Amino acid sequence: MEAATIAGAAVGRRPSRLTRLLRPLAFMTLPTATLIVLFLIPMGILFVYSFEYGPLTGSSGFTLTNFTGFLSEPLYGRIAWTTFQIATIAMLAQLLFAVPLAYVLAYKAGRFELPLLLALVLADELNPMVKIYAWRMLLGRDGLINEALLRIGLIDHPIDALLFSKFAVIVVLSTSYLTYTVIPIYASMKAVDAGLFEAALDLGAGWFTTFRRVLLPLIAPGIFIALLLVYVPLFTDFASPTLVGGTSGYMLGQVVADEVLQNGNLNGGAAMSILLLVGAALFSYVAYRLSRVKVES
Amino acid sequence: MSERAMIELRGLSKRYGDALAADSVNLDIGVGEFFSLLGPSGCGKTTTLRMIAGFEEPTSGSVTLDGEDVTWVSPRRRKVNMVFQDYALFPHMTVAENVAFGLKLSKVPKAELRERVARIIASVRLEGYEGRRPAQLSGGQRQRVALARALVNEPAALLLDEPLGALDLKLRKEMQLELKAIQQRTGTTFVYVTHDQEEALTMSDRIAVMNGGRVEQVDDARTVYDRPATEFVADFIGTSNLLSLRVDRREGGTVAMDLGGGMSMVAPDPGEVERTTISITVRPEKVRVGVEPGPGWSCLRGRIAQNVFLGSVTQLIVELQTGEMLTVHELNDDEGATRLAPGAVVSVGWALAHSYPIGQGAPGGAVGPSRAGQAEVIA
Repeated sequence: MEAATIAGAAVGRRPSRLTRLLRPLAFMTLPTATLIVLFLIPMGILFVYSFEYGPLTGSSGFTLTNFTGFLSEPLYGRIAWTTFQIATIAMLAQLLFAVPLAYVLAYKAGRFELPLLLALVLADELNPMVKIYAWRMLLGRDGLINEALLRIGLIDHPIDALLFSKFAVIVVLSTSYLTYTVIPIYASMKAVDAGLFEAALDLGAGWFTTFRRVLLPLIAPGIFIALLLVYVPLFTDFASPTLVGGTSGYMLGQVVADEVLQNGNLNGGAAMSILLLVGAALFSYVAYRLSRVKVES
Repeated sequence: MSERAMIELRGLSKRYGDALAADSVNLDIGVGEFFSLLGPSGCGKTTTLRMIAGFEEPTSGSVTLDGEDVTWVSPRRRKVNMVFQDYALFPHMTVAENVAFGLKLSKVPKAELRERVARIIASVRLEGYEGRRPAQLSGGQRQRVALARALVNEPAALLLDEPLGALDLKLRKEMQLELKAIQQRTGTTFVYVTHDQEEALTMSDRIAVMNGGRVEQVDDARTVYDRPATEFVADFIGTSNLLSLRVDRREGGTVAMDLGGGMSMVAPDPGEVERTTISITVRPEKVRVGVEPGPGWSCLRGRIAQNVFLGSVTQLIVELQTGEMLTVHELNDDEGATRLAPGAVVSVGWALAHSYPIGQGAPGGAVGPSRAGQAEVIA
C-alpha cells in the first residue's frame, strides 16, 4: 500500500483490493438479509412442500404428484378459463378507465394535476375489504342499484345476477389496483410532447386518428407496464371472488386458498401456488419485453 | 404582389384575463407574399399567427382565408399548415412517415402520395434520410422535415413560428436563404414570425412590426428601415438615432434648427404647424464625418465619445453640440475612421432625404422631395 504524503505528513492510504471489493457489498448486507429472510426462505419452504421433500414434510420423498394432480384435473381447467375471462375483461375495463383518466391528468388538469393524483392514490389506499363490501351493498338484491331500477320502473323484479356472479367479480376487479394502472400510463403520457397534438390537428387529424396514430404508439410501453403490474394480482385474487363471486365466479386464487385453509393440503396448495407463480412470471416477462419495443404506428 | 389578399385579419383581438395579447390587428397578406410578423417577446405576433392557424379563438375580430371566413373553423379544416418552433415531429415515425402524415389523412392515392413525398424530400435536400427517425437527425435536418411535412400538403399559406430559433448562427443564415428560395419556387404565401429583425429584413416582402399587441407599421423592408413610423420601430429595427429638432425655420417643405456658425439640422416638414419641436431619426450609416455645411444638409459639430471596431464598420458615438448622442457607422474601406480617437472634435452631417420625422403615420405621407441638385444623396 502506498501512503500519500504532503509535506511529510501521511494524508491517506490507498485501500486494499479486498477492501475495495467488499465495500459495496457492505451496503448490501441489510437489504440482502431482509430479502433472504422475508422472501427467499418462504419461497424455499413453498418449493419444499410442493415436492414433498422428505426431511421437512415427514413424508416418503420427492414427488411430482401434487403438480400432476393439479394439472390433470379438468375442473381446474374450467376454473382457469373462468379466471382468465374475468381477469382479462376486468383488465380491459381498467384500461378503458385509466387511459382517459391519465389523459386528463397529464394534459388537461392544469393546476389540479397534483391534487387529483393525490386523490387517486388516496382512493386506492382504502382497505380493499371495505370496498368489496361496498360493492356488495350496491349490487345485492336489496342493494342500491336494484332499488333505483325498481323505483324508476325499468325492472319488475330485482336482478339477482348482479351479485354472486362472474359479473360482480369483474365489476369489483375493474377498480382494484386502478392507481397502478393509471400511473404508468400517466407517466408515459407526460413524456409525450403536447405539441404533437397540435401538429396532428394542423395536418388534419381528428381526435380518434390522433389517439390511434400519435398517442397510442407512444404510450404503449406504459400500457404494458400497467399490465405487468396489475394483471397478475387480478388473476390471482381470491378475496373478491370469495365475497362476491358466488359459485359461478370461482377463481384459481380461491382454489389455492381453499386447498390450504379448508382441506389442509399444504403440499397441493404449495404446488398450485408455484404453478401460478410460473405462469405469472412468464406473463410478466412477455409484458416486460413488449414494453421495451418501440411500437410502430 | 397580387391584388387579392390571401389572408385578411380584421380587428383581431385576443384577451387573456386583463391582458390584451393582440389588440385590433388589421392585416392584408397577399397571395405568394413572404410576410413577417416582427417584434419583441410578448408583442402578440405568435398569438396572431396561432389565430390564423386556428389554435387560438379570437376574443373579437375575424380571420378570412382565400375569401372564406374561417374565424371559427377548426385548424383541421383550414387550408393552412404550420411549422412549429420546436418542430413537433412524431418521434415514432420515420422522416417519410412524418412527411406523409397529412397526405394520408386526405386520402391521397398511394402512387401520388409516394411521388409528392419524394419530391418534397428532395426539395428540402433530405434524400437518403427517408427511413431515419427524428432522434437520428440534427437540428437543421429536423427543421427541414417539419417544413416538408407542412409544405407537401400544398397549403394556401404556410405559417412559421420562429422556426430557425434553435439553430446556430451560420446554419440559421443558410436556412434563411433556403426558406426564401423555397418560398419563391413554390409561390406559397408565407407568414413568418420572428423577433430577429435582421432575419425579417433579409427574407420578407413586407414586415408588420408589432408591439404590445398592436401593429405599429406594415411596409416593405426598406421602408420600415429607412422610414420608421414610430419611435418603437425606429428603435427596434437596426440602430437608430433619435434627435430633437427645434423648429426655428420653416420653408419649402423643410424645417430647420439653426445652431450658429453655419451649423444646422434640417428635416422634411411633417406638416404639423403647432409643433415647435419634433423628433427625427437618421440611420448611422447615412451620417458622414467631416462634412461642410451646405443647403439640403444637416451639419453639426461634435466630440467623439467612443470608437468601436465592428468588423466591416467602425461605430463612432458622437456627442453633438446639442448635447444628444449620435451613433455613426463608417465603412472600413480605408483607415479614416480608425484615426478618430475619443475626444477629437469633428463635424458630422447627413442629407435631408436621409432624416425622417417620427410618429407621422403612413409612409410617403410626410417625406417631402429633397432639394434638387445641391443635395448629394448617398445611396
